[in-house]
Amino acid sequence: MDWLFFGEISLAGLAMGGLYALIALGFVIIYKATRVINFAIGEIMMFAAYLFLAFAGGMEMSPWIALPLAVIGGSILGGVIEKTIIRPMLGESPISVVMVTIGIASILVGLVEFVWTADPQLLPNFLPREPVFIGELYLAPKIAYGFLIGSALLIVYLLYFRFSRGGVALRATASDQAAAYSMGINVRRVFNMAWVFGSLAASLAGVLVAATGGLSPQFGIIGLSVLVVVIVGGLDSILGALVAGVFIGWLETVAGAYLGGEYRMPATFLVLAIILVIRPYGLFGTHEIERV
Amino acid sequence: MFRNILEKGRRLAGLGSLVAALTVAAPAMAQDKEPIVFGGSIPLSGVFAFAGIHLHAGLTDYTDWINSQGGINGHPVEYVMEDTAYEVDRSVAAFKKISGSSSPATYYGDSTGFMKAIASELNSQGNTLMSGASFATVLTDNETYPYQFIPGPNYSQMFGIILEYIASQGEGGDMPNVAFVYSDTEFGKDPIENGKARAAELGIEVVEEIVTKPGSVDVSAEVLKLRRVRPDYVVFHGYVLSPINEFMVQMRQMGLDTQFMGTFWSSDKLIIDKMGADADGYMGVMPYNYYDSEESGPMLDALRAQAEKSDPEAGYRPTGYIQGWFNAMVWTEVIKRTLDAGKELNADNMAEALASIEDWDTGGIIGIPVTVRDMSFPVGRIWRVNADEGRYEPVSDWIHLD
Repeated sequence: MDWLFFGEISLAGLAMGGLYALIALGFVIIYKATRVINFAIGEIMMFAAYLFLAFAGGMEMSPWIALPLAVIGGSILGGVIEKTIIRPMLGESPISVVMVTIGIASILVGLVEFVWTADPQLLPNFLPREPVFIGELYLAPKIAYGFLIGSALLIVYLLYFRFSRGGVALRATASDQAAAYSMGINVRRVFNMAWVFGSLAASLAGVLVAATGGLSPQFGIIGLSVLVVVIVGGLDSILGALVAGVFIGWLETVAGAYLGGEYRMPATFLVLAIILVIRPYGLFGTHEIERV
Repeated sequence: MFRNILEKGRRLAGLGSLVAALTVAAPAMAQDKEPIVFGGSIPLSGVFAFAGIHLHAGLTDYTDWINSQGGINGHPVEYVMEDTAYEVDRSVAAFKKISGSSSPATYYGDSTGFMKAIASELNSQGNTLMSGASFATVLTDNETYPYQFIPGPNYSQMFGIILEYIASQGEGGDMPNVAFVYSDTEFGKDPIENGKARAAELGIEVVEEIVTKPGSVDVSAEVLKLRRVRPDYVVFHGYVLSPINEFMVQMRQMGLDTQFMGTFWSSDKLIIDKMGADADGYMGVMPYNYYDSEESGPMLDALRAQAEKSDPEAGYRPTGYIQGWFNAMVWTEVIKRTLDAGKELNADNMAEALASIEDWDTGGIIGIPVTVRDMSFPVGRIWRVNADEGRYEPVSDWIHLD
């Protein structure tokens, strides 16, 4: 066994897993507060990445100005979607709401094809290109710096949810909407805030992932593959999203390296199947008991 | 005398009028002949739209050009197409609709999946010859696909050309080694087994095989695998752009002096436009001369003139455009040969005419005369990116496989 190789592969997998965790966080925040599974999360990622391309590529802004603008653009898109499309669906069946998010995803794909064409794109380089070594272990610079930026946002989010007034309102609404409403929390505003924060996390992940692997109108498919992460971790668990994101990223990479690229997805779906059998609500998800 | 001159003048004027009338009427008479229809399932939207719009432009411009030349043996040409979004079911529906309403002599298929799916219907109808965007090896199986051909080398032949080039770079018996990197798709896997067999025949060691998801993926783990085997060449297949860029950039960051090569769909200018200086040195196999190459020839010049005429703002035309044009060029040659032989325009006769193509001068589209082998044109050339110039430059002679 080449332990150096295993170490490098593991490091790459863990770093990629950090980005998966960020996307999964976008899923979970929205689901936790509003009970909507947002199938358009990948397309929101894609939209933000295209915004970055427009700002940093087309308008030649500094990438460090383009990045926050693109992320804010993506989060505003999330807020607008919630307010104009999802909110009128309140009270409708969950399937209808899910179908609406799938429809939104298709519209976003059409929109970017219309504006930016269907050509594959590469984002302007904005991350350092010097190889990163941790001891003797090599890590691709884009992955390393992407992980650092993503981790910074994760820490900000965790602190915000733990200590801020808005974070407490969000957690309270997630725990019990009726009780939160009776305590004077503006639940509708919390719903909107959840979409904004969820989309913001996804948007940042979108730019970072596109910076590594390129961009096309089909980029949003990655959002669906991260659904595995969310189900393994638990749909309503932020901790689950973080742990499962890092684990699935590591597993995918190690399986790809030792078994071959065609075994990446089967390996993760095998884990998904096992978790669903043992803990249907995910590793850290809430086990809801319905009493009749 | 004056009357005499007037009389002669009247006769000359009458003769002139007759000549003028015939000159004007000849194309009109040609247009009176029954039109020949080029059909097409064209991916103007969807994942392949980046190429589809250029394929469509190439087919449209060729049709306009051939009609301006009097059509095919006096028959005007009509190009009838539908957008398929690169979905097999929509491509099949488009084929049924177009073949039901317009009886196309030839047809452009947008994918290997569609061309395989439609084969039994195509074979039973026996009216239409098909080619298209696919260079799949399987389509050159004449037993199963007797009415389909490849407008260039198939993917296995592309690998054969690449490997011949690599073998030619071996110095003093020191044969370079190679790694294959391909997408986990039918497209990606197509030439791998034949490529390995050909490499073995040439004495080239395949030191690693990497399979990835297509498109936007992190490949840092795969790059780590390649670092351990340090291949002299990496041959990509089954991609358009990503993740080729990441492999090249990361491997160069690691200090490897590996050279990178790819097949038709990953050898367009898109790589240069998107990667910039990082694309320098990338090599691709291409059966046609690039639009901005220094090569010329009557047909290549006509292509450039027609492209300029149809859209003066477009500038460079991608390889998809030339591929669309070349498809229609082959259809024209095949139809012409069939009509010249006095045969009915059906799939059997057109397939026979196609198989008869030998040492065909394509007017500069392909740099040497080409001969059809197993319903394909097994010819190509290796081109290398000169990033400073922003274009591909030839680094090998034309290679025509037997």
